[in-house]
Amino acid sequence: MIGTLLIAPLVLSAVLILARSPLLNRLAILAYAVLHMGLSVALYWRPESFLSYFMTDDLNILFLLILSVLNAGVAVYSLDFLREESISKKWNTYYAVFLLLFVFSLTGAILSAHLGLFWVFMEATTLTSAPLVFFYGQKSSLEATWKYIFICSIGISLAFVGIVLLSMGQTKLTDSLFFADLYRNVDKLAPFWLKISFPFILIGFGTKMGLAPVHAWLPDAHSEAPSPISALLSGTLLNAAFLGILRIYKMIEISRLHSEMATLLLLMGFLSLFVSAIFILKVNNFKRMLAYSSIENMGILLIGIGVGGVGLWAAMLHLLAHSLSKASFFLTSGNILHLYQTKNIDGVKGLLQKDKWSGWLWIGCFLSIVGFPPFPIFLSKFFLLTALLSKGYYFLAAIFVLLLTVILLGMGRSVLSMSCGECNVPTSGYRLSYCALVPQIVFMIILVWIGIAMPDVLNELLRRSVLLL
Amino acid sequence: MTDLVIVLFGLTLLYISAISRLEGYIRALAVQGFLLTLLVVVAGGRINIWNLAFIVLETLGFKTFVIPWFLTKVVRENEISRETEPYITNFYSLLFTSLIFAFSFFIAYWAVRNVTDVRPLHFGISIATIVFGLFIILTRKKLITHTMGFMIIENGIFLLSLAKVHEMPMIVNTGILLDLFLAVFLLGIFINKIKSSFEELDVNELTYLKD
Repeated sequence: MIGTLLIAPLVLSAVLILARSPLLNRLAILAYAVLHMGLSVALYWRPESFLSYFMTDDLNILFLLILSVLNAGVAVYSLDFLREESISKKWNTYYAVFLLLFVFSLTGAILSAHLGLFWVFMEATTLTSAPLVFFYGQKSSLEATWKYIFICSIGISLAFVGIVLLSMGQTKLTDSLFFADLYRNVDKLAPFWLKISFPFILIGFGTKMGLAPVHAWLPDAHSEAPSPISALLSGTLLNAAFLGILRIYKMIEISRLHSEMATLLLLMGFLSLFVSAIFILKVNNFKRMLAYSSIENMGILLIGIGVGGVGLWAAMLHLLAHSLSKASFFLTSGNILHLYQTKNIDGVKGLLQKDKWSGWLWIGCFLSIVGFPPFPIFLSKFFLLTALLSKGYYFLAAIFVLLLTVILLGMGRSVLSMSCGECNVPTSGYRLSYCALVPQIVFMIILVWIGIAMPDVLNELLRRSVLLL
Repeated sequence: MTDLVIVLFGLTLLYISAISRLEGYIRALAVQGFLLTLLVVVAGGRINIWNLAFIVLETLGFKTFVIPWFLTKVVRENEISRETEPYITNFYSLLFTSLIFAFSFFIAYWAVRNVTDVRPLHFGISIATIVFGLFIILTRKKLITHTMGFMIIENGIFLLSLAKVHEMPMIVNTGILLDLFLAVFLLGIFINKIKSSFEELDVNELTYLKD
């Protein structure tokens, strides 16, 4: 099954390059999304390993399922997105091909059983998504793409330094970078090597994950990419990088260095919260606002694993909830962009009046992302706060609440000013099809369902992934 | 012999920090590629023959010839002026490079005190190369020089990984090679694109997106 999952997008993209047919492009994206979903669910019931370099375990299956769901949503949304006539035939094909390759490299990274191979696929995600960020071909997209490739490549090189340092510590007998072997041989590794390589890996994959202070590429790439791509970047790419950090975090956990390294995790986590709180207050571009919110949420994930205990469970729930909420948020921002032809917050007024569905989705996504009660982010933030308090981090808990309130305030002000009031600004006559609304509505329903009555399957999934850490 | 090659490698860093012409940078990169090939061949007895052939292809083929050729082509096609336009003078550049060396050897000796099987010269120069690459990126204005800084970092990482007794599995090595060269070619392509929409090929132009 893993073989099919990895080979299908390569074959499909080769066919698309040869065929160059807009209809086939859309069909291929949709077909792969369905296949991906089917195989991921099958892999959940029957885990397997492929060529010994790829495998599913209790941790990465969660990431794989999130990727499947988001990819399906983006595939449906793309049916509407690619309808636009201003997109040339060439770029229509490029979009489909690089989207397939991007999902391929994400799938490869998530399923890697080898640290080196994980690195290869992480770098591949940058290279395959760069043309997608460049999609609109404007000056600003060029700038964003350059920063994206360059900063992420440098960042990921630093992660490689970490990997080399880790493998330098291995003796001849234990020389292997398979995760299973790494965990088994942790006690034979001098703690020095783990301590010196972890910061490199954290900074390296942290760059890809968008953590402050190495987040510079994120707002640019997320705001310049087409909205479905921003949804994938934010909802799946950042997760995949987080998976890399989690894999090494487990080594730290086994070797009982957690208390020393937790400082580093908490520091980056809170810095990310701080940076996003500052910028969310002053941005005047709603896609950049969402991008800063992604930085905030990645910070929360890092705080979760930094605190440990209940925090781990909270982080896994938060990961899932953030992916779904942020993806629907970005997809809805694509609708707004179509309707108003501007990314400026000031340029959008009376969204509820202009398009009722998009308006309510916009507000719903906002409530979900800041953690209002029926939504699961409320639970994850609440448990994270409990974890902070139970470990005696009272001061940090206070800062946590303060920063979250500032972010709530900043986002709420912008979202409400866009949604409410009279629609007295220039708008376009663009008519949204159902494909541009259904994915978000489905995501929202899933979120409310998780928040009100968490299905046993999901509870089990989260519990098992935490147990593996 | 190995030590001599490594010292020569370190000297290329000093050379880069002291000159102000792009051709010099490219030449230094080619020399670094060649020195890495020498190191691989000298240490080659330990590696299996296919892996060795692959790595020689990587260092001699790509790092010594293809990448420098490609960079020269990008410079020529985009009519980039030959000065590197650093933010700081060459004197300070050299000064900082020396500091980077001092820092790296400090780290290396600290490492030796903690673990036994590390060669301080090798380890120190690798760390210095990586930090030096970052330094070049921070202090030079041109995008093409940034790409070269990226290559210097990659060479440093390669040197560091040579300190290790065992190699990565072939599949991973191939992937790494593929990624790096795609990255450099992609950067080259985007330099071409930036040339057609921006006036200058340096970072001061890339300030459109900000908050």
